[in-house]
Amino acid sequence: MLKLLQNEWMKLWSKKATWVMVLLLVVGVAGMLSLTKWLSTIDGNEASGGNVSVEGPSDAPDWRLQAEAERAEISVQLTDSKLSATRKSELEDQLKIAEYRLAEDAPPHGSYSRQQIIKDSSGIASFAMLFVIIVAAGIVATEFSDGTIKMLLARPVKRWKVLTSKFLATVLFGLLLMAAGFLVSVLLSFLLFSPDGGIELAVKGGEVAEVSIWPEALNYLVLAFVNIIVYTTFAFMIGSVFRSGSLAIGLSLFIFFTGNTVSALLSRYEIAKYLFFSHDLVSLAQGMAFIEGVTLPFAAAVLGVYAVLFLLVSYMVFSRRDVTA
Amino acid sequence: MAHEAEPVVRLENLTKTIRGKKIIDNVSLDLYPGQVTGFLGPNGAGKTTTIRMMAGLMKPTSGDVLIAGKSITADFEEAMTHVGVIVENPEMYKYMTGYKNLLHFARMHKGVTKKRIDEIVRQVGLEKRIHEKVGTYSLGMRQRLGLAQALLHSPEFLILDEPTNGLDPAGIREFRTYLRSLAEKAGVSVFVSSHMLSEIELMCDRIAVIQGGKLIDIREMKDGTKPHHYIEARPADRLAALLQTKGYEPEMLGEGFVIEEKADNIPALAEAVVGAGLALYAVRPHRRTLEDEFIEMTGGGQIAETAAE
Repeated sequence: MLKLLQNEWMKLWSKKATWVMVLLLVVGVAGMLSLTKWLSTIDGNEASGGNVSVEGPSDAPDWRLQAEAERAEISVQLTDSKLSATRKSELEDQLKIAEYRLAEDAPPHGSYSRQQIIKDSSGIASFAMLFVIIVAAGIVATEFSDGTIKMLLARPVKRWKVLTSKFLATVLFGLLLMAAGFLVSVLLSFLLFSPDGGIELAVKGGEVAEVSIWPEALNYLVLAFVNIIVYTTFAFMIGSVFRSGSLAIGLSLFIFFTGNTVSALLSRYEIAKYLFFSHDLVSLAQGMAFIEGVTLPFAAAVLGVYAVLFLLVSYMVFSRRDVTA
Repeated sequence: MAHEAEPVVRLENLTKTIRGKKIIDNVSLDLYPGQVTGFLGPNGAGKTTTIRMMAGLMKPTSGDVLIAGKSITADFEEAMTHVGVIVENPEMYKYMTGYKNLLHFARMHKGVTKKRIDEIVRQVGLEKRIHEKVGTYSLGMRQRLGLAQALLHSPEFLILDEPTNGLDPAGIREFRTYLRSLAEKAGVSVFVSSHMLSEIELMCDRIAVIQGGKLIDIREMKDGTKPHHYIEARPADRLAALLQTKGYEPEMLGEGFVIEEKADNIPALAEAVVGAGLALYAVRPHRRTLEDEFIEMTGGGQIAETAAE
């Protein structure tokens, strides 16, 4: 299997397009962060970073007003008796953090601080998603369209092994893109943004504690990657079932871009919960649920089921197909 | 047909049905080491389908292919270990060098070393260009690379589907010599499909003819042809009548006729023709080509009803 994976890896990097994709990812992430930097200078002193808390109109720092507003809002939400247990504990944790900030005078990171930029690194995922979809769509389909599939399958290697090597190569490529994007993101956050005196807080065992931003950043990256994998298996399936890379790319990106709208339209109905494009794990982890009653574990489970389903279809079709091309 | 060796490959009642149509109907055939077997048939007869089933690219509806005793349906990997395949134009990864292509395929077989890759590159005469991208290769070079990938793992059985497509006459000749030596020296069993009958005739020991999905003839090339003679005399219609009364079945060819007869009886026949008052222009031995026989066997080689190719 390792040799097959080596083969796929070699083929992948022998294509110029692959290098172009990595380059575009780096340029894209750099561009995004430069834009953020530019916006921060336009926004003026609010983002001047450093340890200075900018005075708000009512003499209190902005973050205090926000924390107070948050505390009030959460308290109202908590009075709702229909809250699910998980949602309730989420809100209680948020409340604890807001109260802690007010009591201990512990400001959060400013939106243009180095720490916040690193925490938000999962934004690179949309670049990675685009390129991984392209690779996943083509990795099986181009073997058919180039006619090389005959050479590849007339070997003493069972087809499921060939397909597995292709899937693993795609996932590995995705990991690599995420890693490269994160690296660029961190590098530029150090170059372009200055740190502020904000404090990252989390609830651990019922107690509010100061934590590092790194685990959180990585957590978001992992969640974003799970989302990527689901789209990847979808593109992989379309590519291997219909043997058309362009169809797979088109369909996957179409769903990626319109998915949010569709699930928003359907959000009143139960079905919206069970669509794979309804769930953005990073948003869920940040406490933004677009569909009521959806929790992070639930969404992750739905995505997992879809990924397995897509892979099953790919394997069944690929290993049974008569190669006539 | 007496074969001392055990067959390397056995097709056992191989059948393929696609959308209710029997493309391949109960084909059984044995292939032996050291023999080149030609596979002939008109377009749509099922050549490609049969070959793809032998190469593991299509699954038989029923029946089986045994390679070195291993079933291609039950023991796919074991069976395919012994097979080298060139299916039509060898499509390689154009964006990689010839060497990387070979490395790629070598990794899919057990025990193919770098040394073996170098050796095979030398054998097919690609040393000078092997580190260039396949996209820059001529068709002839791609054919060589195709041969190299099929022989990397020293297979006992080599399947070739229309291997001389796109080769120039010199290339075809070289290819033919190479195949013969593979069979004779390395004892490889070669199965080659082609529509170029003169090619098959020159390189094969045996031919199998398929038509309408059925194997209609298997014959050894050496004993396959009975002696024939060409005879031309005027008036032609009287010659035809004469030949018929003598029990021949004359076959028109140009101005004269071809009859089945051995050389010993020709002087007497010539005498009879002259004695009957006909003007004899020519009598000569006639070598029936494979093409003649093929057309006779397949009835002119019309496209079969099911276009499977």
